Amino acid sequence: MAEPAFPGGYFGQALIVDVTDGTRRVLPIPPQVLREHLGGAGLGAWLLTELAPVGVDPLGADAPLCFVFSPLVGTPLTTSAKFAVVAKSPLTGMLTDALASSHFALAGKLTGHDAIVLVGRAEQPSVLFVQDADVHLEAAGELWGQPAAEAEAAVRARSGHRWQVAAIGTAGERGVAYATISHDGRHAGRGGLGAVMGSKQLKALAVRGSHKVAPADPAGVLAAAKDLRERSLGRATAKYRELGTMGNVLALNALSTLPTRNFQQAVFEGAQQLGAEELAQARGVTRSSCASCSIGCEHLYQGAGGKKVRMEHQSVSSLGSMCGVSDPDAVLAASARCDELGIDTISTGGTIAWAMECVERGLIDAPWLSFGDGGALLRAIEQIGDGTGLGPLLARGSRAAAAEVGQGSLEFAPQVKGLELPGYEPRTMQAMALGMAVNARGADHNRSGAYEADLSGDLDRLAGGQAHVTGAIESEDRAAVMDSMILCSFLRKVFDDPWVEWAALLSLVTGWDLTADELRATAQRIVLAKRAYNLREGWAPEDDWLPERFLTTTLTVGSGRTAALSPERLRAMVQGYWAARGLDATGRP
Amino acid sequence: MGVAKAGLEWHGSTLLRRVVGLLSRGVDGPVVVIRAPGQPLPALPPRVDVLDDPTEGLGPLQGLAIGLSAVCEQAPVAFVCSTDLPFLHPLFVRRVTASLGDGHDIAMPHVGGFRQPLTAAYATALAGLAAELVAEGHGAPRPLLERARTLVLDDTALAGLDLRSVENLNTTEQYAAARAEPPPEVVVQRYGVLASGGQSGSRTVRAATVGAAAEAVGLVLDRHVLAAVNGDQTSRDPHTPLLAGDVVALLSADAGG
Repeated sequence: MAEPAFPGGYFGQALIVDVTDGTRRVLPIPPQVLREHLGGAGLGAWLLTELAPVGVDPLGADAPLCFVFSPLVGTPLTTSAKFAVVAKSPLTGMLTDALASSHFALAGKLTGHDAIVLVGRAEQPSVLFVQDADVHLEAAGELWGQPAAEAEAAVRARSGHRWQVAAIGTAGERGVAYATISHDGRHAGRGGLGAVMGSKQLKALAVRGSHKVAPADPAGVLAAAKDLRERSLGRATAKYRELGTMGNVLALNALSTLPTRNFQQAVFEGAQQLGAEELAQARGVTRSSCASCSIGCEHLYQGAGGKKVRMEHQSVSSLGSMCGVSDPDAVLAASARCDELGIDTISTGGTIAWAMECVERGLIDAPWLSFGDGGALLRAIEQIGDGTGLGPLLARGSRAAAAEVGQGSLEFAPQVKGLELPGYEPRTMQAMALGMAVNARGADHNRSGAYEADLSGDLDRLAGGQAHVTGAIESEDRAAVMDSMILCSFLRKVFDDPWVEWAALLSLVTGWDLTADELRATAQRIVLAKRAYNLREGWAPEDDWLPERFLTTTLTVGSGRTAALSPERLRAMVQGYWAARGLDATGRP
Repeated sequence: MGVAKAGLEWHGSTLLRRVVGLLSRGVDGPVVVIRAPGQPLPALPPRVDVLDDPTEGLGPLQGLAIGLSAVCEQAPVAFVCSTDLPFLHPLFVRRVTASLGDGHDIAMPHVGGFRQPLTAAYATALAGLAAELVAEGHGAPRPLLERARTLVLDDTALAGLDLRSVENLNTTEQYAAARAEPPPEVVVQRYGVLASGGQSGSRTVRAATVGAAAEAVGLVLDRHVLAAVNGDQTSRDPHTPLLAGDVVALLSADAGG
């Protein structure tokens, strides 16, 4: 029997479509590249490095936009129906990769490609259809100006429900630097991928496929899937199932780690009204889950007018506590509006919170924009969406906006590499502080979940040191593999020995004889591939750093202890990270 | 007492574990335990260093010298205490330690008519002098106290503090009496899924350790359940000691999202 041309779970090729004229070509991906980068975020980093011209304008026609699948998608393994979107970020100028999930991942993979890469710029607003090897563009004039969900529904209504669609909202069309790409209510949220898609005049990508995913050991995969599904229903995922990530809000508030009023405080007095414990009782409507997922982390709440709104911890912290808004109606409405416009709630909330502080300090003349005012929050979001008032300034993200406003406002712009911080306070979570400082994507909680080290009890979260470096690296490595093979990160606690178990799962699917050690090396390779791309695009050592606010002001936790993160301590941790990654004293290979 | 005090039972934990836990809440730097050579010790939390006296039976001055030497690179001042202080309070430790400023080498509480050299703050720069005195054959701290510049902390300086902090247990009877006291009253708060089923809000319970506090509300600290005392460190260690008025937050261990 002849050797298969490519490993199990793969098709060994990427489809590259020039949306300028709808032409296509196939890029073979060597098995060794697949083994070294797996798929998802890892393979996306490789594709971007290979296909993007050096120094490309993220919103230029030459900039590739990569939709990347993974070896596990299409198998019965729970939570594997996810895809990565990878591009050069208009927000950071560096690599960004964001994951979204559900049927688009399955349908995209079944086109027979491990990735679909878009380049060029359509002559008019368009929808790109990919069905197996067939590609065609259709004018989408009537869809331009619609929310992503409506555009998605319209494409499916017109073309058939077997098509799965990823679309942008109006923010992507307008080039908001943190616009998202959405599918079925989930969003590839961070770094402005929606703006990249919008710059190509592409409203939506629709996929449909007839290929089959062929694992190397189908029976073994089936047995593993059954086992994993059973484990996914246990205590390790109870939080997500019962409350969703909103279950974090009050817990993090109790630990002085909930960003409040643009990181001026870490305890929000209005948190109780926004916590899942209370909201679930008063407004919980239903749960939902992605395709092929047995966890079901999505919790929908009833907003004003009976509207069902998906809510996450990150949206509550960025639009709620960061902006000092405790009114659940306002926060739910703000989150829903971000979804409609197609903008990242974290960057939206962070940028508005920064602007609120600017107003407070007299640096921006917009007296209506004050902390705690839910109406002002909604007004600011509308302006970002329609480009009026402060919209053009805020649509660029807090770093670019601070560069324009000046007067020291960059010191409290809540961003790293241009990406706004998620809902974790770095002074009281110092492993996370390092994770956010050094991660290639910028301040991020998905590619670096170092908060786990901070909350493990194994180290002092207020006294960053070498143990925090170790914790941050382990977290980053695990995320690199989970985001590349792909399994949902909410599944991570069900694994007793993750490296060994992940190597076994991947071996069943691909036929490779993977070991935990090889997988660890793969993780490091993926992390460094992203850094290498950033370095090529102008990364400098000072980019692995936190805003001045975190290094010059302190917080007090409930016990009375002071949380301080000095520049010297952060420098030592960053240097420790670089050294442990095998980089030189300037963070370079 | 006839037995090593370090291992004496204390509400499901040990005396040494309790003192170490309370001391660590009162200082910002490392905690070091000095023991007789090879002395068995009960389990201690992470980030506690254990050092051996070089010679057995020389008295507390040797341990003091070893301890000050161990931390002198990391801190200018160290709080020194014995292992038999179940009522030691972190605020007492903080106040005494903060009292030691320029011009003095030791801040020494004066409580109940006695100086308390084993609940006192020492400049770590005294490590050399202490070692010299040990080499000269001294075993008790007294010659060190005589040669150092000592600030005596009187009632005024210690006002508002829990002076039972210096109450050590020297006899079986003292231990039995102290052990018979009810555990402190603490407040337990459950978060996230641990608060499901109407379990949110605060409950007051009596518990000397975090593990006992969790047990009092039907939970066990394990892979999935963490605790944080007064919003500080998270821990799975059930022996983490508690004081009256502490607030124990019980959290789901997976904080992602």
